[in-house]
Amino acid sequence: MLDSLLALGGLVLLRDSVEWEGRSLLKALVKKSALCGEQVHILGCEVSEEEFREGFDSDINNRLVYHDFFRDPLNWSKTGEALPGGPLGALRAMCNRTDLGPVTIALDSFSWLLLHLPCTTLCQTLHTVSHQDSCPPGDGSPVGKVHVLGLLHEELHGPGPMGALSSLAQTEVTLGGTMGQASARILCRRPRQRPTDQTQWFSILPDFSLDLQEGPSIESQPHSDPHIPPVDPTAHLTFNLHLSKKEREARDNLTLPFQFSSEKQEALLRPRPSQATSHIFYEPDAYDDLDQEDPDDDLDI
Amino acid sequence: MAAVATCGGDAGSAGSAVATASKSNVTSFQRRGPRASGTNDSGPRLVSITGTRPSVRNGQLLVSTGLPALDQLLGGGLAVGTVLLIEEDKYNIYSSLLFKYFLAEGIVNGHTLLVASANEDPANILQELPAPLLDDNCKKEFDEDVYNRKTPESNIKMKIAWRYQLLPKMEIGPVSSSRFGHYYDASKRIPQELIEASKWHGFFLPEKIPSTLKVEPCSLTHGYIKLLQFIQNIIYEEGFDGSNPQKKQKNILRIGIQNLGSPLWGDDICCTENGDSSHSLTKFLYVLRGLLRTSLSVCIITMPTHLIQNKAVIAHITNLSDIVVGLESFIGSERETNPLYKDYHGLIHIRQIPRLNNLVCDESDVKDLGFKLKRKLFTIEVDSISL
Repeated sequence: MLDSLLALGGLVLLRDSVEWEGRSLLKALVKKSALCGEQVHILGCEVSEEEFREGFDSDINNRLVYHDFFRDPLNWSKTGEALPGGPLGALRAMCNRTDLGPVTIALDSFSWLLLHLPCTTLCQTLHTVSHQDSCPPGDGSPVGKVHVLGLLHEELHGPGPMGALSSLAQTEVTLGGTMGQASARILCRRPRQRPTDQTQWFSILPDFSLDLQEGPSIESQPHSDPHIPPVDPTAHLTFNLHLSKKEREARDNLTLPFQFSSEKQEALLRPRPSQATSHIFYEPDAYDDLDQEDPDDDLDI
Repeated sequence: MAAVATCGGDAGSAGSAVATASKSNVTSFQRRGPRASGTNDSGPRLVSITGTRPSVRNGQLLVSTGLPALDQLLGGGLAVGTVLLIEEDKYNIYSSLLFKYFLAEGIVNGHTLLVASANEDPANILQELPAPLLDDNCKKEFDEDVYNRKTPESNIKMKIAWRYQLLPKMEIGPVSSSRFGHYYDASKRIPQELIEASKWHGFFLPEKIPSTLKVEPCSLTHGYIKLLQFIQNIIYEEGFDGSNPQKKQKNILRIGIQNLGSPLWGDDICCTENGDSSHSLTKFLYVLRGLLRTSLSVCIITMPTHLIQNKAVIAHITNLSDIVVGLESFIGSERETNPLYKDYHGLIHIRQIPRLNNLVCDESDVKDLGFKLKRKLFTIEVDSISL
């Protein structure tokens, strides 16, 4: 899954933290795209160009188009090398590109951009850049897929900007791991489909190629806790919810009082052989005042 | 009669009163203008717009939301001139589905649509609307769906309450297309000819505002201002507020605004707690409600409230909207594996129902509602576990 991360297009967020850094994964993905023959643009803001290019072979280094905003972010030296408008201008220039073919834009990093630019402007620009392929230019020529990926340092931002960027991203990779082995939790949001959540264990080799591994335990659902069994509400009740087989048979054979069965109908329709079907035997009590006379006899009306 | 007796001294008025009383024989009041019983009426006596019906409780004109189950929970439907706010679920799957049902209902009824979005082109949104289930083949599909849902135990005839078997079954089934509220097949797309036959206006924010606009603090509300102007123009030009005397049949304008409040609209309410534009969204809702109340229109808004950082703002927004429905999906949460919730994909919370010209609102008794998206239908059911 990790190697096909860029196949989906759109915005890919690599969320890293102090314990598990993500720049090596970023470089590995950049190398992969370069080897696939795509155009790769790098906006370097956090580290210097030499440090970023370190570890890459020369042919890969030749394919990378590096925009350096680390050395002179505000363009004070006015040498004319830096693109006008800063990193935002560079991103917008990529929106209006005319050459076709797939392009990978790697941002190092989103955190730097979030700290220097308003969040809304950044979100709008990223949305425009990453959705270029769905809105083709007026002449109808097909534009290749655009992949935008970048690092986001989780500890630097509050829940607001993180949530805003996560809602924009098509794929979110959160780096973590245990016992020296790195893992990537990949949350893939496809539009109008349920998001998929996978965890992949990996390691980065010194030449920045990706090595996928079977980790200590492959979990496809990190939320399920195997120690707590699923809750069964019908267990441990003080009353009986289920019937045994004998009880069920007895229940089925019971004739209900108001059920008008055929036997009852016949019994009613058949002429009664004797009237003595039911008798009431009454023993008068000592306190009963039973008088056979009609009490209204002494009334004179 | 008493009036005639007391003004006996005033000959003129008494004469006219007596004259009219003798003419009509029922009442001395006479209607001014064309007579009600005339055969050549100048116009229909009752305003009957397709797809609307008056509420049985307070006479408000109602339109359907596209989901008959939701209509029932809201007291019959959505009142014309109100705002339905849907608080989005975390991954915006079900709220966009409700949004599409609303628009599809508008197309089926022949209403005019206005779709506004900052992240998707409205033409693309319209292409993805669900297909309506009209006429007979839909009844077959619905019955088949109900049959698949029935568990074996329900097929046993009732033993104790056997008299209830004679009662007719109360299933809400698909109705013919002239009635209120239609069913849709979520797995199929709406036929292209229905979209082309309908009238719609789209507002796609990146097209209206060029991206090279300079970054200014006041530009945070720029998108909202543009949207409000657009809505106002449409309402005025097409006469939904009665400004142009409409010779043709009156119609309803259905406005749909997607993902309002997200950073793509230029609003930083989801990014920071106390930003510069913390009041722009509330102002927008206030002005929008004013526009809606004075026109024959109804609006649905989906908002990612789970991203809004300031909880007081959510309370303001709830007060400024008329009907607020919150969706909570179980995807990714611990409730997904909980067997109590295994029948449902999420919960629906009806947070607010309006009191329109009323002292009480039409709240249903049931508070725990779950929803489930089957392959074709979106159903809302009472959460049976919590009963």
